[in-house]
Amino acid sequence: MTKSRSGLAAAFPAATELHDPLLEVVDLATSFQTPRGLVRAVDGVSLTLARSRTLGVVGETGSGKTVLIRSIMGLLPRHGVQRSGKVIFAGRDLGALGERDLRRVWGTEMAMVFQDPMTALNPVVRIGRQLTESLRLRAGLDRKAAIETAVALLESVGIASPRERLRSYPHELSGGMRQRVMIAIALACGPKLLLADEPTTGLDVTVQAQVLDVLGTQQAERSMAMILVTHDLGVVATRADSIAVMYAGRVVESASTAVIFDSAKMPYTEALMRSIPRLDAPPGARLAAIPGRPPDLTTVPTGCAFAPRCAYVTERCIHETPPLTESAPGHYHACWNPVGSPEGEQAFSTNLAKGVMAAVEIAQREVRK
Amino acid sequence: MSEQALLSVENLVVDYGRRHRRVQAVSGVSFAVPERQTLGLVGESGSGKSTTGRCVSFVQRPTGGTVRFAGTDLSTLPARELRRARTKLQMVFQDPISSLNPRRKVIDIVAEPLAIWGGVNRKEMMRRAADMLEAVGMDPAVTGNRRPGELSGGQCQRISVARALMLEPALLVCDEPVSALDVSVQAQILNLLTDLKERYGLTMLFIAHDLAVVKATSDRVAVMYLGKLCELGPVEDLYLSPQHPYSAALVDAVPVPDPRRPVAGPPLSGDMPSPADPPSGCRFRTRCPFAQDICAIEEPPLEEIAPGHLVACHFPTSSR
Repeated sequence: MTKSRSGLAAAFPAATELHDPLLEVVDLATSFQTPRGLVRAVDGVSLTLARSRTLGVVGETGSGKTVLIRSIMGLLPRHGVQRSGKVIFAGRDLGALGERDLRRVWGTEMAMVFQDPMTALNPVVRIGRQLTESLRLRAGLDRKAAIETAVALLESVGIASPRERLRSYPHELSGGMRQRVMIAIALACGPKLLLADEPTTGLDVTVQAQVLDVLGTQQAERSMAMILVTHDLGVVATRADSIAVMYAGRVVESASTAVIFDSAKMPYTEALMRSIPRLDAPPGARLAAIPGRPPDLTTVPTGCAFAPRCAYVTERCIHETPPLTESAPGHYHACWNPVGSPEGEQAFSTNLAKGVMAAVEIAQREVRK
Repeated sequence: MSEQALLSVENLVVDYGRRHRRVQAVSGVSFAVPERQTLGLVGESGSGKSTTGRCVSFVQRPTGGTVRFAGTDLSTLPARELRRARTKLQMVFQDPISSLNPRRKVIDIVAEPLAIWGGVNRKEMMRRAADMLEAVGMDPAVTGNRRPGELSGGQCQRISVARALMLEPALLVCDEPVSALDVSVQAQILNLLTDLKERYGLTMLFIAHDLAVVKATSDRVAVMYLGKLCELGPVEDLYLSPQHPYSAALVDAVPVPDPRRPVAGPPLSGDMPSPADPPSGCRFRTRCPFAQDICAIEEPPLEEIAPGHLVACHFPTSSR
């Protein structure tokens, strides 16, 4: 009896193991020593990602989103970096692994698609060799098998006449094709987690749609988990299961995608959403821009980092840092005067009366509607 | 066009390269922009939209066709007068950081056009530059003495705009002014351009690949594909009922910030053909879902299908 049970357990891994998150980041912090002082690029971020799910990480330039995913992967410079916190990937603490072991994880278990394919690809090596390199090294395929796999990979990311393309150099391809080649390289060894850092920034909107579709279909086919980093909430709206919004190195709001779009609590999330130009906006409508810019990460002010740009700011926001609290199951936000709460409404109307920039911008848009 | 057009472009042709390596980037484009209006010029990379913009501000000479600015054909002007005429035609470029000299101070960059055209002493020059920095939402006391490398992309783009407006131009050509910026900053710059347009009575040619961005700033939109215009019309008409299949694809490609809205159909498949060897007939036919035999044989002319709405397609949406 006991024996058969253990046999079953071997065939079907324990339920907990399947439901265990693939990636668990606990209180991750990364700072860089620079001549201007210590830059706290990532300042205590925790998140979890289940298998074959997509997490969208959204924030402006300088919010720490790129450093976050580089820290997760362990791709940080050797010197001048302080890192703390834990990254648990498929049950292992990546922080405890040495460089040799990390190299085994890169490519085969987690892979990255970089923002700028022109600088991420080697300009003097044909893409065929860049694609087959990891297949031969990691997957141990011979030359012929590696080439066949490379052709299949290029085909799967929607590149026409893939066999001929293997002989091209990166500069002979268009921006969208280069990004698809980058995706093919990242997918080559069948990673369980794909980290995509602004994969479509700098591409035409039409090509952006194509590249996002390729990422989506490949993810579904390979049941791969993905972290999609972007500054545009519109990009992740239909492609992510959940969203984490980052500001000044911290997660300021996280929830499932539908919840973020329906009932964002953090004024920053609301502001990001309002700033997207929409095709269905009434003619002459003014965009609600977020005034100012993100703080310098060497001197993050006390209190809430978004306070200087916020339409809902009160005295308290300037002195006390709001903690990340769970307002509904799975919905976390860090704000003293959340959008839609009585405190928030009151703060907003007070600020509008005082003529606070952010509040005025929003009100102007409402009026012109 | 009944209104007085400040800018009119007729049958613009631009070739690059020679003989068998010749590539036609723009093949016969015509449009007009009435005073104080904004024309959005939309298309993918390689559609010839930037080349068109460069010819309009005469950064580059066209191979054929005419560019009339305030009634004058710019190509007939002698070099000296052309230089003077160009002060009224200014440009804002895509990459805010590389279009500014990294070694110069912000205030000097903004004052430069006045230094070249002279007429004012240094004190007056600095005063006007400081005023212009204020107008684009920057504090001259704080940023005036900085260099572009110390500033963010959005701030650099404000400086480019300030520099372009120093000589009080009548026409501003903006070549993808926000495509390198974050959405939040993009909204700031778009609002700024709208405000400045009203304040200085500017006429604008606004080039972008994102129809939503163009919609926020433009009165009329021209859609370009592979060196030709496919559709030209009022911005509302164009996005509510795009007539050309390519315009429709551009409308669909704009990401909609709504998780419940399903991703619109398959996006435009394939890549743009090489402009060195464009398809016969309609240039869009190789990627068009509605292409018929006639599209390969006969090139559709740009025809008016509604007042002020022109389409070059054998099978526009309303006829299908």
